[in-house]
Amino acid sequence: VYQVFESVAKKYDVMNDSMTLGIHRVWKDILIHKMNPSPGTLLLDVAGGTGDIAFRFINYVRSVREQQLQRKLKHHQNLSWQEIFESYQEDKSNSLGDSQVVVCDINREMLKVGKQKAQHLGYSEGLSWVLGNAEELPFDDDKFDVYTIAFGIRNVTRIDLALQEAYRVLKPGGRFLCLEFSRVSNPVISRLYDLYSFQVIPVLGEVIAGDWKSYQYLVESIRQFPPQEELKAMIEDAGFFKVDYENLNFGIVAIHSGFKL
Amino acid sequence: AAAGALRRAGWRLWRGRAVVRCQHYPPLRALQASAVLRRVSHEHRKEPLTSSSQQQFDSQPDGHQPEQEPQGPRPSYTGQGGQESEDYESEEQLQHRILTAALEFVPEHGWTAEAIAEGAKTLGLSVAAAGMFHSDGSELILHFVSECNTRLSELLEQEQKLVQLGKAEKKPTDEFLRHAVEARLRMLIPYIEKWPQALSVLLLPRNIPSSLSLLTSMIDDIWHYAGDQSTDFNWYTRRAVLTGIYNTTELVMLQDSSPDFEDTWRFLENRVADAMNMSNTASQVQSTGEAVVQGLMGAAVTVSN
Repeated sequence: VYQVFESVAKKYDVMNDSMTLGIHRVWKDILIHKMNPSPGTLLLDVAGGTGDIAFRFINYVRSVREQQLQRKLKHHQNLSWQEIFESYQEDKSNSLGDSQVVVCDINREMLKVGKQKAQHLGYSEGLSWVLGNAEELPFDDDKFDVYTIAFGIRNVTRIDLALQEAYRVLKPGGRFLCLEFSRVSNPVISRLYDLYSFQVIPVLGEVIAGDWKSYQYLVESIRQFPPQEELKAMIEDAGFFKVDYENLNFGIVAIHSGFKL
Repeated sequence: AAAGALRRAGWRLWRGRAVVRCQHYPPLRALQASAVLRRVSHEHRKEPLTSSSQQQFDSQPDGHQPEQEPQGPRPSYTGQGGQESEDYESEEQLQHRILTAALEFVPEHGWTAEAIAEGAKTLGLSVAAAGMFHSDGSELILHFVSECNTRLSELLEQEQKLVQLGKAEKKPTDEFLRHAVEARLRMLIPYIEKWPQALSVLLLPRNIPSSLSLLTSMIDDIWHYAGDQSTDFNWYTRRAVLTGIYNTTELVMLQDSSPDFEDTWRFLENRVADAMNMSNTASQVQSTGEAVVQGLMGAAVTVSN
């Protein structure tokens, strides 16, 4: 698995766009919307190499924070100029409201690409990049508010260990969110999807990234991955409560959510 | 892998049974240290401190303690960490606690997921716990309304007991209705600024079944304690009338700026008086109608003679 991602790191984003025809952006947006993070949230994004989820999280929190500040200012009708000046000062240094993202990935190359992207897009604060294994996270217990793993859990060899680690590092009340390819139950869509996956995607892989094998692996690993209900049971096994899943695009992708209660 | 599948299948059966028994016996996973739900039993002792401040915040002037239901069903903790016991609260009870805690933050944040997040924080949970609820705050509002209705029922029950014991006089119907509606509307006073937002959320199609059923059960309760024993069409008219009175008074209250909402209570008095007059008028109309008919018959007989 490591070598697969080493070779695809640079072309990862481009391939994502071409494979999913850009819909993966929508899926990730939906994930963040479902999370609905408030300022002050600490997010751990595992297997989040190139930082897609992290950047979206920061954007979301920033806009929520702006709305909060606007509402606060509306209430402050009768302040003196001094007080208004002070409130602007403190708020400017706090545009994220103390939210933070830790991006953790097992692959150095992916993290490098992510850091470059961050610099390029101008994300400076609230981001940390950590090298780590999802089955053995280098973090203390009860640290994070939200744990996300977008299109990463498929590549973990022992999924149950990864779920247990997720449970460990989450604070009580914390949320586990998993965005992953899943089973399509509708037979018509399923046939079209299979056709697309096995015929088109490896070809795209060869043309764009020069790598047929990795994308063959990708498509096969998707088929091997446990379906929605089974993953839900595994998440419950790890100790999460209120586990639920939401199918996107007929089950091509599913978002699983659980709470550490 | 087969063992894992078997274990999962067996565990699912166990959980199925647990659900059937209404979660009296916690599922196997309880052994794996449910972080918050068990911790709640630990905090059973500390609970009274936080919940009493809650009660002070929204207790009624007549000083009767509202029931904090999460504490009731939980038996005392017999502290043997990790053992199977019946001390685990269900997810619903935890959600109730979070929503109750969140009410404190409503005047500041409105009926939103933010208030729920702040409420979760006071319970020692992560702010992400607000993700358990819908992002428009519907559950918070419905929870609040149902809590108010419960408090109203208890209040009326207590007063009924006093009457039965002979310690108080039975109020005439119009005064009783006025008193009940006023008591119920007074519970809104701490949240009155954000209440219009709450009303609009309650009117969302998704919420209408629940909010309507809460409203009708409250009106039902009031009439029950008012001594309504009717089994005919009157039952419907009485409830419709009282629902109308309640809703209009609530709307008046929202834009009332008089001290202690005097204008609202006066409006309420007038509406209840109207309602009483209406029933009188109805019977008067009926008897007048009968009298007129009899008069006409008499005149016809006279003329024919």
